[in-house]
Amino acid sequence: MEVSDAAVVAQVLAGDKEAFRLLVDRHSRSIFHVTFRMTGNQQDAEELVQETFLRAYKALGRFELRSNFSTWLYRIAVNRTLDFLSVKKMKSKDTYQIVDEPDPEEGRQIQLPSEGPGPERMVLSSEMKSKVAQSMALLTPVERIAFTMRHMEGRSIEEIGETLKLNTSAAKNSVFRAVKKLRQQLDVYASTAR
Amino acid sequence: MKHLNEEQIVLHYYGDADDDAAVARHMSECAACRAEFERVGSLLQQIEPIEVPEPVASFEEKTWLNLRDRLPEKRSWLGNWLPSPKQWAVAGSMVALLVAAFVAGRFWPRASTVAPAPPVIANANPQQVVLVAVGNHLERSEMLLVEIMNSDGKAPLDFSNEQERARDLLDANHLYRVSAQREGDPKIARLLDQLGRVLAEVANGPEKMTPGDLKEIRGRIESEGLLFKVRVVGSDVNSRVRGREQSAAANATQRL
Repeated sequence: MEVSDAAVVAQVLAGDKEAFRLLVDRHSRSIFHVTFRMTGNQQDAEELVQETFLRAYKALGRFELRSNFSTWLYRIAVNRTLDFLSVKKMKSKDTYQIVDEPDPEEGRQIQLPSEGPGPERMVLSSEMKSKVAQSMALLTPVERIAFTMRHMEGRSIEEIGETLKLNTSAAKNSVFRAVKKLRQQLDVYASTAR
Repeated sequence: MKHLNEEQIVLHYYGDADDDAAVARHMSECAACRAEFERVGSLLQQIEPIEVPEPVASFEEKTWLNLRDRLPEKRSWLGNWLPSPKQWAVAGSMVALLVAAFVAGRFWPRASTVAPAPPVIANANPQQVVLVAVGNHLERSEMLLVEIMNSDGKAPLDFSNEQERARDLLDANHLYRVSAQREGDPKIARLLDQLGRVLAEVANGPEKMTPGDLKEIRGRIESEGLLFKVRVVGSDVNSRVRGREQSAAANATQRL
């Protein structure tokens, strides 16, 4: 029978630092998926995996052994990512990684397709993905994470609220604001693709 | 008729509108809102989950290696219970006295029962007592490592017994390592550190050990030369214990 996460946590708390490795082995890949979906950048995502585990290790004493460790870890990962995106946003120098032919003059502006190549020459889904990635970079960190959790991970509003420490109404509003901004950027593409 | 606002329509798409049933009812009667809902839905359906690149196979290993040195030492529950070095010393002395009584009982000549025992206990060197315990611990660890190295690795093995023993040894290992560090015995402390990692791996590993799992643990034991080190240090510890016991016995005889 596999040793439960809670049992491993108890062992780490008893002083066996090496036992923490088992938790890293079990959860680092899924945490990477989370941090990548939210940052869109492999290097940032990998760094955030480490930060997540470091934070978790330091806060291990506050983990309730009856709780689900992966849920607890997921929340830490999301909040670490939120901090990371907020700092990055404040620096205002970020460019989303997935960019096709970014215009240095326009910085983070999104290029609309009106003057671009005609739809018949585009691979629309690929184009759409690229534009989604660019548009996601225009969202605030909270909007981006709330949207990713709701739309891409299928998490409930309650989970979003609990994770981001928002009330239900604020969590809903974050998802809505994200969709509204994405619509402003993507509606033209969506109609082209339809 | 008052139309739905954008927020109601977007949230309804996810089933999160405050009154989803009312929103649905309204849309069944309002073509304009229905059309707007379809536009929203069509756009959102085109926003697919971001494709996550699969990290390299050694990702977990790499993460752990980068992380390991950044993790501060955790104080054990025992550490929380006895937080100060002074209290550690008191506890150590008490354990030492108990073990000394046990050792004295085993090695004290039967014929000399007339000799009062308390002076021997009072004069017992705590370091000697810890050494005896460490020697015993290394011997038990060696037996476990030998069994792991010699077990049949062709089919999945029931490792529950080994795991239980590893868990017992792991608890003791931690205490002895702390004690060795405190006593300034880096050789033993280093060995116990290495041994602890392997014991933790066995203790936390699968109960049904596959040939692959077993190979991995054996590789770890071999690559670190752990079994050899345990034997050498164990033998050294036992020699030191015997030497000190002989001196103690000689002193006791002289006193008689």
